[in-house]
Amino acid sequence: MPVHPTSQPLWELDSVTKRFAGIVANDRISLRIHAGEIHGLMGENGCGKSTLIKMLSGAHQPDEGRILRLGAVTSLPTPTAAREAGVSTVFQEFSLVPHLSVAENIYLGRWPKKGARVDWAAMRAGATRVLGEMAIAIDPDSTVSSLSVAEQQMVEIAKALASEATLLILDEPTTALGLTEIARLHELLRRLKAKGVAILYISHRLDEVVDLVDTVTVLKEGKVAASAEESVVSIPFIVKVMVGEVGEHYPKEHNATSEIVLSVRNLTTASRVRGVSFDLRRGEVLGLGGVLGSGRTETARALFGLDPHLSGEVIWKGRPVSFKSPREAIAAGFALVPENRKFDGLFFNFAGFPNLSAASLDRLGQHGLISLAREAETGRRMIADLAITPAAESKTVGFLSGGNQQKIVIGRWLFANAELFILDEPTQGIDIGAKIAVYQLINGLTRAGKSVILISSDHDELIAMADRIAIIAHGQITAIRPASEVQKTDLVLAAGLGAAEEAA
Amino acid sequence: MKAQTLREIAGPLAAMLIVVAFVALTTPSFRDLGNLNNLILQVSIIAIVAVGSTIVIFAGGIDLSPGSAIALMTVVFASAVKLWGVPFFLAMGMTVVIGLLLGLLNGALTAYLRIPSFITTLAALSAFRGVAFMFNNGSPVSQVSLLLEPIFYGRLFGLPLPLYYVVAIYALGFWFLRYTAAGRSVYAVGGNPNAARLSGIDVRRTQLLAFAIAGVCAAFGAILMAARLNSGSPNYGVGLELSAIAAAVIGGASLAGGRGNILNSAIGAMTIVVVQNGLNLNAVPTSVQNVVTGAIIVLAVGIDMWRAEITRFLSVMLNRN
Repeated sequence: MPVHPTSQPLWELDSVTKRFAGIVANDRISLRIHAGEIHGLMGENGCGKSTLIKMLSGAHQPDEGRILRLGAVTSLPTPTAAREAGVSTVFQEFSLVPHLSVAENIYLGRWPKKGARVDWAAMRAGATRVLGEMAIAIDPDSTVSSLSVAEQQMVEIAKALASEATLLILDEPTTALGLTEIARLHELLRRLKAKGVAILYISHRLDEVVDLVDTVTVLKEGKVAASAEESVVSIPFIVKVMVGEVGEHYPKEHNATSEIVLSVRNLTTASRVRGVSFDLRRGEVLGLGGVLGSGRTETARALFGLDPHLSGEVIWKGRPVSFKSPREAIAAGFALVPENRKFDGLFFNFAGFPNLSAASLDRLGQHGLISLAREAETGRRMIADLAITPAAESKTVGFLSGGNQQKIVIGRWLFANAELFILDEPTQGIDIGAKIAVYQLINGLTRAGKSVILISSDHDELIAMADRIAIIAHGQITAIRPASEVQKTDLVLAAGLGAAEEAA
Repeated sequence: MKAQTLREIAGPLAAMLIVVAFVALTTPSFRDLGNLNNLILQVSIIAIVAVGSTIVIFAGGIDLSPGSAIALMTVVFASAVKLWGVPFFLAMGMTVVIGLLLGLLNGALTAYLRIPSFITTLAALSAFRGVAFMFNNGSPVSQVSLLLEPIFYGRLFGLPLPLYYVVAIYALGFWFLRYTAAGRSVYAVGGNPNAARLSGIDVRRTQLLAFAIAGVCAAFGAILMAARLNSGSPNYGVGLELSAIAAAVIGGASLAGGRGNILNSAIGAMTIVVVQNGLNLNAVPTSVQNVVTGAIIVLAVGIDMWRAEITRFLSVMLNRN
């Protein structure tokens, strides 16, 4: 077994494998974390980072391999066991109770007691001590909801440390923070490091990671693509390892015409869209690249009548439009396949037909009636055309696979005969076969003269399936180029650096 | 389509038939023609109010107000006819309009001011009855009109008139929910309001409509209630909203919204009334009847919730043999 040159690792994962329903999420991953080290964990979405964290924090158990603490094999059967072993995890969503004080939150669930009563004096003293050690200037009596997001983040870390954590895991701690707040957080982490705390740091922001960490492990498709020993803490190195080879099959058809159907000029909304301009042609797939929060989804929402426009112009088929509701957008031929199909897309109380016809109720009959015969006829055709499982006819959609569910959400807009399809992460969480089916569906749309705006965090997919790509960062389009001229590294860099700019 | 309806009502119908058979076998007086007639009269008001309550539940809300709304409307209706000299049929029309307005009030507060329907209708439960007590110094208005009693006690082809009302209103409710875009929207909004909005369905208008329908159903209930006793009283309809919700729930409506068949609410109402009737005939005290009604509600919902477990248990038992 390789031994780290400096010391015995505090925690070690030794060839750990974890499977979910046959899919290997973590494939023989080895990782060593030392006391007083900030260890970066990098990789694209779905590379297995969260599975790995969850094993260290006791939420998942490895199927194979060992977890060692100071060289001794150990098991972390529950989150409580992990906490007792000194592992504290700060997840993206905070676990603070907003209406309690900072001190109460720091000691949440393990309030110091005097008999049966909470010992307030001891709790306040303890909280003051913990905050003082971290040099955080927050009043332990203030209510958590009155703090800024960055301060809440600090309290979350203080809470982790008050439980005597020796390993602190931070999962995307900076997504909600601005640059100065990130700097404060990093300062704090460096102080903790000096005190001998080990830190496992997960972030998508390359520049920030490179600035902070001592060593980095890069995951790709559930495997270690570059171990801490092999890695160089530099942006070009990490990008190269993360990107790798483009090995998937994309059945792209080019159907773009020269006819412009949609012109967006200086579109600005209150929600992160700051002067977006682009044209979309008949039969074209326009990809929108950028990170979460860059304004991609917000642009889609604004076009679809969900967010009001502050200024700018949208011209659809030669006519200026400004939709005040999705209803108006749909009437004009717009379609939105939302990012979160469970919360925003599907009716789990319905089987396939009513899900498919939901956006067409006005057109299914006259005088407010719906023709069930016509609904079934069109529904059956959709199920056949999109190769949706026949079970969709009788079973509610909760019983169907993610791929079938997504086809139904897209099918709803074919049923409605939409002309502009805005697809927000249409292949998220579906298997490769269903992904290819979605790509073929996109081809079918463009072949029929419909236009597509494709939003995707999957860079390979975006480059392969789009005709042109608009890179969006801090609510503005920074570049529009033919997809053939866009390199994956451009997108990774734009994403990583754009995020930092976004925070500025 | 017919097969689907049959499948949807089979469970509650079977449960009701078992209850009916049990009561009929154990209690000979249950089978008297007079008692069966009485049964229909008893169930009619609950069943009609339950149509509105059920549609609100399908839309993802809850309506706690119809009992109080009915008290208010019987008082206004009776006062209008007897004290204010409003022509009888005009007063009836007025009552329906008042029901509609009360429903719209609940609906507007819920849909447009975004106050949860449990709260708006809880407030209405209190306020509507309060208003009812403001008429005629809070006293009942009795001996309203000679025209009134036949509405409830009249017969057509030997069957009590309320049976026809129930059948007509359920037929209308069934048609609305199955064959109109607005009815489908009710289920869509109850199932997933986000998805409904993104599919171009007007979520607020749909919620408003559901409460408006509930208000009109309550108005029909109020007219029947007034006809039954030829009077109006601020004390009528106490707990009626709970019987109506119980009917919906026993009929399998999900309080989470979006699921259920309206016909099952009539079956649910019938189940409750038959059980109460059976207990009455056996001289079981009201206190025990209330406990039994509570137990039936838990059991009905429980069987629905545990359906997967029950199926698994049965299949394991069958495979073992």
